[in-house]
Amino acid sequence: MDQAPTTLDPVQGSNIYANFVIVNAYDTLYSYKYLARPYQLKPNLAEDFPTISPDGLVYTFRLKKGVYFIDDPSFAGGHGREVVAEDFIYSIKRQFDPRNQPQGAWLWQGRIAGLEEWKAAGSDYDQPVSGLRAIDSHTLEIRLTRPYPQLVSTLAQGYAALVPREAVEKYGKGLGVRPVGSGPFRLVSYDTARVVMERNPNFRQEPVNLADEGYDPATQAFSGVEAIQGRSPPFVDRLEINFINEPSASWTSFTKGDEIQYTVLPIEQVERVLAGKQPVTLRPEYADKYHLYAGLEAGFIFTAFNMDFPDFGYNPDPERERRNKALRCAIIKGYDWQGRNESWYNGIGQIFPGIIVPASPEFDPDTPPASVTRDVAGARQLLRDNGWTPENLPTLVYGTTSGTTERLTFEQFRAWMRDIGFPREKIVQKTYANFGDISRAWKRNQLPLVTKGWGLDYPDAENTLQLFYGPNGSPGSNDANWKNPEFDRLYAQTSVMQPSEERTRLYRQMNQLVIDDCVAITGLSRTRIYLWHKDVIAVPDREILGGFWLKYADVLPAGTGAAASRVAPRAAPQPEQGA
Amino acid sequence: MEILQYALRKLIGGLPLIIGVTLVSFALMVYFGPDQTYLLLGKNPTPEQILEVRQQLGYDQPFLQRYLGFLREIVTLDFGTASTGERVTELLAKTIPVSLILILPGFILGHVVGLLLALAAAYWRGRWLDKLIMAVAVTGMSVSFLIVIIGFQIVLSSSDGLDLFPVRGWNASSLASYLSYVTVPTLATMFVALGYETRFYRSIIVEEMSRDHVRTARAFGLPESRIFFRNILKNCLIPIITRIMFSIPQVAIGGALLIESYFGIPGIGKATYEAIITGDQPVLKAVVSLTAILFVLVVVLTDILYRAVDPRVTLK
Repeated sequence: MDQAPTTLDPVQGSNIYANFVIVNAYDTLYSYKYLARPYQLKPNLAEDFPTISPDGLVYTFRLKKGVYFIDDPSFAGGHGREVVAEDFIYSIKRQFDPRNQPQGAWLWQGRIAGLEEWKAAGSDYDQPVSGLRAIDSHTLEIRLTRPYPQLVSTLAQGYAALVPREAVEKYGKGLGVRPVGSGPFRLVSYDTARVVMERNPNFRQEPVNLADEGYDPATQAFSGVEAIQGRSPPFVDRLEINFINEPSASWTSFTKGDEIQYTVLPIEQVERVLAGKQPVTLRPEYADKYHLYAGLEAGFIFTAFNMDFPDFGYNPDPERERRNKALRCAIIKGYDWQGRNESWYNGIGQIFPGIIVPASPEFDPDTPPASVTRDVAGARQLLRDNGWTPENLPTLVYGTTSGTTERLTFEQFRAWMRDIGFPREKIVQKTYANFGDISRAWKRNQLPLVTKGWGLDYPDAENTLQLFYGPNGSPGSNDANWKNPEFDRLYAQTSVMQPSEERTRLYRQMNQLVIDDCVAITGLSRTRIYLWHKDVIAVPDREILGGFWLKYADVLPAGTGAAASRVAPRAAPQPEQGA
Repeated sequence: MEILQYALRKLIGGLPLIIGVTLVSFALMVYFGPDQTYLLLGKNPTPEQILEVRQQLGYDQPFLQRYLGFLREIVTLDFGTASTGERVTELLAKTIPVSLILILPGFILGHVVGLLLALAAAYWRGRWLDKLIMAVAVTGMSVSFLIVIIGFQIVLSSSDGLDLFPVRGWNASSLASYLSYVTVPTLATMFVALGYETRFYRSIIVEEMSRDHVRTARAFGLPESRIFFRNILKNCLIPIITRIMFSIPQVAIGGALLIESYFGIPGIGKATYEAIITGDQPVLKAVVSLTAILFVLVVVLTDILYRAVDPRVTLK
């Protein structure tokens, strides 16, 4: 993995790096099918999908019986006790206790009844929350303040992992380095260089049914994944996840066989490793040794105009505001998505108009591509027609973190803007020491251009549409501080709608409003290239939930090289299973 | 007794240094360091949640109150909890020994081999051996440490190279395992350090060789070996001790960031770097204060060593 998680406590499991470990150490009520793409939810700790009241406000979940936390000194006698509905309630409460510095409360605040009141009353865990009730030890009821179609999706996230109260009370913040869950693996060690986990010997027996997991023989048979049919994960005894920031060290380690999987093919290796990009294929010498999967990320990169900056956003003068819109549209026309794709993403990212990403089921491949097609002449014309000259064009401040790549990205942007008529000195880079610093600038509404990437929390376009919802303005996720009454009305309307054709139509309508108002330069989904050794049975993925696929990974008994030592097989697959 | 009294006096005299270093460092952390608030917030925070996190981090307290808390932490050696949730003392206890046994071989060998090469170069000053050693030293100094690390990794560890050692990782559970993991980092460290050490030691040895007392010794017809070891090397010990001793805080606390990052070694260097970029103040405070304390100890120890190698030095 290219970065280490900062903590393993689900209460702060905000990124894929943390979730790479969290979803393997803990259980969530729901998860994603191993092989289905687009992503599909499936029950995990829940017995089935919930029953939902006719008004969409009351969800009832049944939890599987006989699921136990790992043995740990925090439990009486050191033996893990059974997971019960109260554990879920306790875990969600933790997200509303400021002492935990929680990061997942935004998913449920204003949605689950009584949580804000519980927090306001002092976050006393012995006090009930009106919207969370354990009907019995294995039946849970969630009461909402308004319909929340994404609720079940949020319960698949690491934030919603079930944590035992005993462990929190014993270890306090130490839970961040000592997970106590009921997931397929238990932690052995964790430091800045790697995490080591071993198979949870008491993990429930749930034989894999590939059909239920969304297996597609036409595209996935190459991985040998049929060998896990009918067997209960996890399949390996030991899991070592190395955190390697440096691409060269990562590549050397992978090719030597010390790693089973490689997630980011360094750009300098592309010509050496790939035979073709459309589709992505390996050169024969690599194809002999490695499996390949090239999949689009569940997310995108984009640059939003901060509309609170009157130079190109909202302006008290209606005429200036009209000209500002033309200016933004011209900048969008001048932006070279294809150039960016070629320069930074091997030319294999997918460029698309708007903010509904290809990984969302509501993505519309037929959206006109004008907003992502470079048109320098058109941009110049637009500027001229609206009275913009090199002298009166505003200065664009492009904020980045410090680093060579960021500098080059900025220089590229400046070159494109010069093509449409911006003087060189009017495109300025402002650098920040790290992500925290630039985040502060975003949240404090200090940056006119906000360039960022967004990874989906769940496969629903609502997750990216909320980035432009007016009430989510700074310090919320609407960094553009765009306030479009029609968009906001449609967002409020769709936010309580279950998935349907009508909802998809409205989503697309909202997407078009973002495009028409020229509020963002968007967007591109990067293609992730996964390589893994041929003695490993797996279909790697790191989107949305990080390492949810690791419990299905297995190693062929005849595995050679260090791959076998890194992920030691628990039991040899049966010959008739294709191993 | 004299030495003990001197050490105590110096240690007490070092307190202002520790206070000064910690004060300046803490001011830099507070006013110029990364604000961890925004790393700890969720994706859609409210102003209320921002305030809550700032309160949890203690950012809302006055500077003086926070600094006094820092001093209390130094006295009690309790620096609280790192952002990972781990106790800082546990983190240091886990990472410092790793860095020490990682860096010590390269540190010792770098100085010993550097000194030997410098002696040879100085002894045969102006001859082909001197020129060869200096040429190699300059080469070692000229190549980027990063290039050296990657080069050694590829040549010694990768499947495209000799494939003799692990590419990365760390396991010191047995001597054989330790040697297999520490060899390449040590060679990379030595390759770069040798250039600097050799040039430094050669220059002080050559300077000593041209002094009057050496010329006089030669005039008396003393053997060259005796002159070299008694008159030259002994007098070079003061700068040598200074150089070695003042590297110790860096070795013990600073670790070796690049080595630890590229070789995936969980030492204090990597932990400190992560703390710097994420603004993990409990870890930074511990590292800063321990470095300052160690520096004071090194100063005292260095003075005592000066006295040991040169009786003319008095401890006042």
